[in-house]
Amino acid sequence: MVNLGGGGGGGGGQVAVAQIPTSFGHELRACLRCRLVKTYDQFRESGCENCPFFQMEDDHERVVDCTTPNFTGLISVMDPTKSWAARWLRIDEYVLVCIYMRWGALTGKFAPGCYTLAVSEALNPDLQNICEEEHVPYVPPKRV
Amino acid sequence: MSRRRDEYEDDVEEDDEYDGVDEEDDEADGYDDGGKERYARSLNVEYDEEATDVEQQALLPSVRDPKLWMVKCAIGREREVAVCLMQKCIDRGPELQIRSAIALDHLKNFIYIEADKEAHVKEAIKGMRNIFTGKIMLVPIKEMTDVLSVESKAIDISRDTWVRLKIGTYKGDLAKVVDVDNVRQRATVKVIPRIDLQALSNKLEGREVPKKKAFTPPARFMNIDEARELHIRVERRRDPATGDYFEKIEGMMFKDGFLYKNVSLKSLSTQNVQPTFDELEKFRQPGETGDGDMSSLSTLFANRKKGHFMKGDRVIVVKGDLRNLKGWVEKVEEDTVHIKPNEKGLPKTLAISDKDLCKYFEPGNHVKVVSGATEGATGMVVSVEGHVVNLVSDTTKELIRVFADNVVESSEVTSGVTKIGDYELHDLVVLDDNSFGVIIRVESEAFQVLKGVPERPDVALARLREIKYKVDKKIFAKDRYKNTLSVKDVVKILDGPCRGKQGPVEHIYKGVLFIYDRHHLEHAGFICVKSESCMMVGGSRANGERNGNSFTSKFSHLRTPPRVPTSSMRPPRGGYGGHNNFGGRGGGRGHDALIGATVKIRLGHYKGCKGRVKDVKGSTVRIELESQMKVVAGKSPFWEMCLMATLAFAVDRSHISDNVNVTPSRETSRYGMGSETPMHPSRTPLHPYMTPMRDSGVTPYHDGMRTPMRDRAWNPYTPMSPPRDNWEDGNPGSWGTSPQYQPGSPPSRAYEAPTPGSGWTNTPSNNYNEAGTPRDSGSAYANAPSPYLPSTPGGQPPMTPSSAYLPGTPGGQPMTPGSGGLDMMSPVVGADSEGPWFLPDILVNVRRPGDDTTPGVIREVLPDGSSKIALGSSGNGDVVTALPNEIEVVPPRKLDKIKIMGGAHRGATGKLIGIDGTDGIVKVDDTLDVKILDMVSLAKLVQA
Repeated sequence: MVNLGGGGGGGGGQVAVAQIPTSFGHELRACLRCRLVKTYDQFRESGCENCPFFQMEDDHERVVDCTTPNFTGLISVMDPTKSWAARWLRIDEYVLVCIYMRWGALTGKFAPGCYTLAVSEALNPDLQNICEEEHVPYVPPKRV
Repeated sequence: MSRRRDEYEDDVEEDDEYDGVDEEDDEADGYDDGGKERYARSLNVEYDEEATDVEQQALLPSVRDPKLWMVKCAIGREREVAVCLMQKCIDRGPELQIRSAIALDHLKNFIYIEADKEAHVKEAIKGMRNIFTGKIMLVPIKEMTDVLSVESKAIDISRDTWVRLKIGTYKGDLAKVVDVDNVRQRATVKVIPRIDLQALSNKLEGREVPKKKAFTPPARFMNIDEARELHIRVERRRDPATGDYFEKIEGMMFKDGFLYKNVSLKSLSTQNVQPTFDELEKFRQPGETGDGDMSSLSTLFANRKKGHFMKGDRVIVVKGDLRNLKGWVEKVEEDTVHIKPNEKGLPKTLAISDKDLCKYFEPGNHVKVVSGATEGATGMVVSVEGHVVNLVSDTTKELIRVFADNVVESSEVTSGVTKIGDYELHDLVVLDDNSFGVIIRVESEAFQVLKGVPERPDVALARLREIKYKVDKKIFAKDRYKNTLSVKDVVKILDGPCRGKQGPVEHIYKGVLFIYDRHHLEHAGFICVKSESCMMVGGSRANGERNGNSFTSKFSHLRTPPRVPTSSMRPPRGGYGGHNNFGGRGGGRGHDALIGATVKIRLGHYKGCKGRVKDVKGSTVRIELESQMKVVAGKSPFWEMCLMATLAFAVDRSHISDNVNVTPSRETSRYGMGSETPMHPSRTPLHPYMTPMRDSGVTPYHDGMRTPMRDRAWNPYTPMSPPRDNWEDGNPGSWGTSPQYQPGSPPSRAYEAPTPGSGWTNTPSNNYNEAGTPRDSGSAYANAPSPYLPSTPGGQPPMTPSSAYLPGTPGGQPMTPGSGGLDMMSPVVGADSEGPWFLPDILVNVRRPGDDTTPGVIREVLPDGSSKIALGSSGNGDVVTALPNEIEVVPPRKLDKIKIMGGAHRGATGKLIGIDGTDGIVKVDDTLDVKILDMVSLAKLVQA
């Protein structure tokens, strides 16, 4: 399901796709780190495909902490490597960031799926620590 | 930059109670103390550094990148469509070559699809529901980034934050957050309720509730006792979480008058919430003192803009050890302000957080308001209470209370804003609850309106959307002595709280005057009074204008000649004493000089008839008609018109005879004769008085209507108009078909004019219908020489026959002809009729020259029109004889026994079971029918 840490681009082969939201209403939540959008139940059952280290499927409280219903816009990314919009929104991968941070090999791709353009909250510090420990980048949302 | 991070950190700790300033430091410390690796932090920093922008630049779209295409989809289905496209791509695999699909929250009806070629987009959307395949628009490469630039909204909602509600009844209202549930994304806020208790009670008791909500109920605190009075069930509940008690009504929770409302966080607006002083004042509870202030202060400070303090500002420290230290701003650095303290023995400058500082003013400073509702106003500071500055506005001389934060020192003198939309300061406007008033202050988003309630000054805040329209028409009213008042006339207030004040009339509406007295320091100098509580001082200045008015000019030939009152205390009868034509007549005796004069009747049924004046009594004139040898009565003010007419027009003999010949055939009652005449004259003065009182008297009019109607019916311009049909139905065998009334005869032409066909014309017709046809009117109609006549252009026959008594019908509009009559010319007040308008056993006030008004009961109505009145409110005093114009009917109150003075039920007695505006709901004794009758036709019954 999840294609993390693979290093190479998953362009050619079968790409693992994140779950697609099963509804479009208020149940939708977005992952605070990767901005993947799914329903609360989906997060609870399968966690986040891009951020398995949050282990939301094991700890349901985590779902509340790691995701938010406050997000703006929705983008379905069919092909993260080829989509300009995904790159612009940094949904594809943190290529540039990683180069900057010299983590190239450690970052993974985001799975195709539905994302949001922006979330309005930041991860709480504990969860940011987890990101650090996992050596995955975290970009807090820009504030107005 | 550091500021941005702080905010973000605030947010991280959003469960913590918001407590202003200290938080940030703790927060930042917590970071380091936590022993976290630097880079996590530096990550944040890097992103906020310019580097991110540079990186982002590298991502700008190039020609090799896929393009964005805009595709139309069903409204509200944007997200759904994007998700469905995703699913479709998964199902179909790589054959669909679109890269992404974007649904923006703020863009309805469209989604964007990213693809290299339009064909790919077409392929992808083929066969999809909710997508309209019609048009696919390419987004120019330069605009591609704009599509995706969505700033995440900061949601900083915590306890005690001031917010505004975005939707529903409370849209735009200020609310205070009481509790936040971040998981369920809901907050409990307290607002000032907007609840229509009456409607609620109706609903609860299963009574009919009008479907549409006509207006938003005004915000006011819930009064539980009031609710109980209306039999609304009030439960007292204890909130298990807080231990507080709430009153629960219909599922709504109230405490201390506030409504505690659970709302979605999304329905709250947190940006730019700048509570006005008035709003905060309302929110302040009696018990709440310093603490409440402090919390509101902190939110206020949070709303401060950047660059709030400037070098040279006088400031005061409001927090910490240095509290109350005053000084001047020396330098501003981000959140820190360097101030030069006022006290000796302190360092030259002190660095203080801007959140601990407040601007400081002293009485005497001249300042300008730079934000808030009164933005733009300037004035002099008269007092300072904490962070609230009271200043006297340069424009309105009113006291303005503003926060020191919103004020800067300035020598500028401005008027501030005086106009929003179509409405300007001092305009007369009608609000959406059908009340009206004068704009006495223009704030940045709302108006202060002095309502047209004469009893007490009532100022309401009205937003632009709450204003229905501006009243711009010429409206006239009558003062206590029946002088015609128009705008700009100077009047003196005779009673009420503003007694003795004097000033020009600025607006007239529904018998209410708005007077501008510049010595009146409240309400921008405006005073609202009933027209009857006033007296004209000096002459009317508006006559010239009246002429110029497009509406009245139609009637200009009917216009009353300008009267120049000479004294301010004019007894009613002397009202026209100053008229030059009749010079020499004093105030008291009236029109004796007319006796013996040959006149021509200008208006009404006897229009055109010539006759000789036999007698003048009060304002009533008896005329001996040449052709009829009958004596008819007329009203003298109108009378003058008659004379004028004689002078002005050649007498068309043939027409006169026509008129007169017809008369007997349709009206055999003696009253008919009597009643007809007056209307001619009466026409004249009425026109100017097209005041808005919607109520049109009841019966009397039909006579008057007849004349114009007739003209109308035969008016070649309105062949076969429905009015005529109606009319004929109601008057079989009437003159309607008689050939004498061919169009084109000069006199009738004259009356074509008053048929503008606008809303107001409906009213008379309605009245007419209500009143019944002349045939069944009996003698009641006879007594109808009412002034309404003139105003019954009759042009537009009964289009909405029943509407006269429904509030809100055209009758309610300004310019209702009938309305004019009510106040000044109604039979009750005017009482100038020849026939016995008055009836025995009714309670009246007798006003004798030089005497105070005394109540009395009519015992007998004498044939000459005067009445024998037993003084005393129960009629056991002396018996005097009074002329009709010295008598005023005492309006009955609810549940009084009444006697009906006009209409088909004249003479009947009953009980007034309710009053609806100008209509009285009467239960007639004999028939036990419930009738809706005009209040002016009702008098209080006092049985001997």
